[in-house]
Formats: sequence, structure tokens, C-alpha cells
Amino acid sequence: MTARNGTIGRGEIVARLIAAIPANYLLTSAATACIARLLWRGMGVDPANASVAATLISFALFAILALVAFGARSVVRLWLWLAGSGLTLGITLWFSLSAGARI
Amino acid sequence: MKDSLRQSMALFHTWSGLLLGWLLFAMFATGTAAYFQDEITRWMQPEVTGDAEPATAAEGAMRYLNSVAPDAKSWYISLPNSRSATTQVYWQPSGERPAKRVETSALLDRGGHAITSRETRGGFFLYRFHFDLHYMPVLWARYLVGVAAMFMLVAILSGVITHKKIFADFFMLRFGKGQRSWLDAHNVTAVLALPFHLMITFTGLVTLASMYMPWGIAANYAEQTAFSEAVFGRSAETVPSGRHAPLADLGPLVRNASARWNGERVGYISIANPNDAVALIEMSRAPEAAFGARGQTATFEGATGRAIGTHQATGSALATESVMIGLHTGRFAEWGLRWLYFLSGLGGTVMVGSGLVLWTVKRRARLSDPSCPHLGFRIVERLNIAAIAGLATGIAVYFLANRLLPLEMVDRTEREIDSLFLAWLGIGLWGILRPAGRAWTEALAIAGACFAAIPLVNAMTTSRGLLPSLLAGDWTFVAFDLVMLVLAAGFLLAAVRSAQLRTKAKDGAKPRGANRRATSA
Repeated sequence: MTARNGTIGRGEIVARLIAAIPANYLLTSAATACIARLLWRGMGVDPANASVAATLISFALFAILALVAFGARSVVRLWLWLAGSGLTLGITLWFSLSAGARI
Repeated sequence: MKDSLRQSMALFHTWSGLLLGWLLFAMFATGTAAYFQDEITRWMQPEVTGDAEPATAAEGAMRYLNSVAPDAKSWYISLPNSRSATTQVYWQPSGERPAKRVETSALLDRGGHAITSRETRGGFFLYRFHFDLHYMPVLWARYLVGVAAMFMLVAILSGVITHKKIFADFFMLRFGKGQRSWLDAHNVTAVLALPFHLMITFTGLVTLASMYMPWGIAANYAEQTAFSEAVFGRSAETVPSGRHAPLADLGPLVRNASARWNGERVGYISIANPNDAVALIEMSRAPEAAFGARGQTATFEGATGRAIGTHQATGSALATESVMIGLHTGRFAEWGLRWLYFLSGLGGTVMVGSGLVLWTVKRRARLSDPSCPHLGFRIVERLNIAAIAGLATGIAVYFLANRLLPLEMVDRTEREIDSLFLAWLGIGLWGILRPAGRAWTEALAIAGACFAAIPLVNAMTTSRGLLPSLLAGDWTFVAFDLVMLVLAAGFLLAAVRSAQLRTKAKDGAKPRGANRRATSA
């Protein structure tokens, strides 16, 4: 929101930086793992191709999320989204791993 | 709302670009040189001439390995491709103690004789430096390089969003207009090769993907080795039987494998437990044969030479990854395309360099006291000199050292590489000690002079100077010397230009003087 009038507070920059780099990496990792599981277990792709497809997508995902972290208007909403999707992905991954073992 | 997005993207672009810009500049410059790594190696090994045929080279390598390490755990033979003439061999000794790399590797000529005179890592060093760096653990270097590449990807995307009229401005390159010219240069080099920059950055990340983002594999495989086996077809390490059985002749096997791949060259051979009854020979297709870097492999029984099978990973994701790596490395590229790769890489190097300079030019105009800028500004200014003129000088000195260091010097390979970094350090210090404006002119002039000296020193120290090479139709050597002269001209021109701008700014009572002066920085 503060980006609107051109001045950005120090605290907000830190919040966005943490969102853009460490939080982004955690979220992207969880998403990558979920996509790899989904492709293999859910869509019948062989596990090697499923893993590689997810890995290829991950770099685009990370780059876009980094842009979103700085482009999003509200830091609070940004973090709510990050936490929400992180939680969802984490739970999905946990269920998927407990339902079917890895190779 | 659109403008605020653009504003935050501009901010993001500036700082993400600056933070890792110096490293990216070095990666772009050495990576660009790596498109001609085989030609650079040839130039740095002037005693080696002619071409090499894979089957003969494999037989030579086998003779050499049988004489130095007949009972090694494994042998690795990197065969010459169509552009190179030497064979690189590595072996893993049978003892428990891990040996030094230099003691377990050798560069062979096509007959399998170790090349002991003028030891060099050639163009291969520049290739490795662009992702392994030097004087630091390879693992750390690769993570650092990965972070830089991701910043680059994000900087490219935010740069596109930041720029309002990116395609209209593409046709504008205004010279001699200070900040505007630097911005134009940055935009033109960025947009002209935008697809290349995006491709090279993304595929660069893909080449080391399993290191940066291992979780896709970890989600499906408890053991990384199970994944490697599925993709590369590598069987688990076999235990030697202890029964001696001489290895089958590699020459016919190389021809056999080549014939299976419609005559494409064999690029790489790995042999587990050579000269043991359970020896296994695995051959991989040369990466130059197709778009995809990851080619087929063929396996043979070591003792009998019986073909066991061939392997090729299948599936669209693996094929995509293989093509992405192939696009990045460009090993498939013929001459025309190879030069285009090289020029695009130069464009990328200029893009990163001009972006770095732009940072200081833009801020210099706004400094409250231009004669005494703040510390952060001075650091960036000096680092720019070290990164741009310093690396250029370093590479030129690397080539000069190849010709000037004594041929039989101990650890010659390492001393050549040290020369690169000493020159780089020297220019870096020079940039700190001298006034910034002058330092730019001087450092650019030194870089230019070093590049100009290369063809001269080459002509004086070898029989393969520009003129004899031209007469002999040796286009690799001719092109190398000519590229050095073009680089020399470029750097000397930049030095003259920066000196002119400085004098103009000095006499200039014009109010825009300060702004003009900035271009020399």
C-alpha cells in the first residue's frame, strides 16, 4: 500500500525481502514436491519424469513469486497468502507421503 | 496502480541487478568464451595439430591408462570431438587414499601420449570458471552461481515490466548523451537478445537443477541413486572379482557404438574395474550430435567386449530437460550458430556491464557533492572498474601467460590460472588507488593493450602467428588472433572515449558538465 505514494518503509522492505527469498524458497520447494507427487501418484507419469517436470516448473515459480513479493500492494495480504498456501501444500504433501511411500 | 507496480519493479530491478551484477558479469564473459572453449584450447596448445578420430584416440587412451593405472577402480575417457584434437583421461586409483586430481588425470594427444610440454587447462578453465569459480569449494561456488542466476532471471522479468516502451526504444541508440546513452545501450543489448538472455538464464539453472531444487526428486525417491539409475541407466557399483582379465580393445567397440547411433561420434567412455573379469564399459554419445545433451549410452562387457545393451531415458520431461541443457551448452551448434551464440553472449555481457555503469551514472547526477561521493557510491564505482576492466585484463593475461611462462614450468597449469587472477587483482587495486575517472581510462587502456599484445606475442613465440596461419588456411588461429584484435580495438576505443569525456567535462563550463562527466565513470 505504501508503494503507492512512492515511499516504502524499512520494515516493509524487510518483510518483502523475507517473503521474496527464504519464504519463497520454502513455498516453491513444497509446491515442487507436491507437483512431483501429483504427477506420479495422481496422473500416472513415471516417477523420474514427474520429478523432473516439477523441478523444471520450480524455477519459473520461484521467479514469479519473487516478483509478486515486491509487486503485491499489501504486505499483510501477501504474507497471509504465503502462509495459507504453504500450510495447504504442507498438509497435502504430508498426506501424500503417508499414503504412498517413495522409491 | 499500474505505475506503483512499475515503480516497485524498477526498484527491485535496480537492486537485484546491482547486488550480483559483478558476479553475473564474470559468468557471462567467461561463459561466452566457453562457446569457443575447444578453439581456445587449440590455440593454447599450439604444438598439437590436426584432427583426431574417436576410435584411434580411444585405443591410445587405453594404452596410456594400461601403462599408468592398469588396476585402477575406474577409468574415464573424454574423447575428442569434431573441433578438438586431445583426449582427457581421469582414473580413480585402487588404493583407499584419494589422490590429487593432477596425479590422476592427463591430457593425451591422438596417439595416446601424454602432453607434457606447455601444460594448460585451456578454454576448459574459462568454461569451468563460469559455474565453478576458482580458489573456493566447487559446491559453494555452484550455490553462489545459482543464486546469481536466479537474481538474473528475476532482474530480466522485472526489467521487462519496468520498461514502458521496451520495443519502441529498441530502435534507439543515442550516442554521446550521457545517462541516456547508457540506458539506451542497456536496453538495446537487453532487448535485442532478450529471448537469448531468458533462455540462457533459465537453462543455466536447469543444468544444476537437482542441486538447487532437489525436492522434486526427493518427493518421489528416498535415494538419489535410484533416480540416477532410472535416468542415466547406471548400475550400482560393481565389486571387482579379483580375477585378472585384460580389457577388450576399445577401438572396435567405439566403432560398434557409433554404428548403432547412425555414425554419430562417441563422446565419453567410463570403465569400471578395468582389467578385471567383471569390468564394464559404458559409452555415451557425443553431445554435439544432437539438440539434447543427454544422449544414448551403450554398455559392453569389459573382458569379452560383448554388447550388453543400450539405454536412453524416455519421457517428455526428461527430453525437455535434455534439450534445455543442450540449448545452454550449444554443443550441437555449427559455425554460424556458434558465432551467434558468442555474439549473443557478448551482448549479455555488455547488458550486465552497462547496467552496472548505469547505476553510478544515474546517481552521480544526483549527488549533492559530485567531488566527494558517499562511501556506497565509491564502492560500486570501484567494483565496476575491477569487474569489467579487471576481468578483461585477466583473461588477456591468461592467454599471454600461456605463451610466456616457461614451457616446462612446475605446476604450469596453475600458474597460468594464477596469472589471470593476479592481473584481475592488480586492476582492482589500481581502480582503488587512482581517481575513478582516470582509473577507468587507464584500466580500459591496459585491457586493450593486453589484448593487442596477444597476436604479437603469439607470432614471436610460436610458428603459428597470424600471417603463417593465414597462409596455411588455419582458420582457428586466424580467428583467435583477429578476435583478440577486435577486443583490443574495442577496449582502446572505450579508453579514448572516456578520456575525451573527462577533458570535455573539465573544460566544460556548461551546466550539463557534471552529467557528461558521469559517462566516463
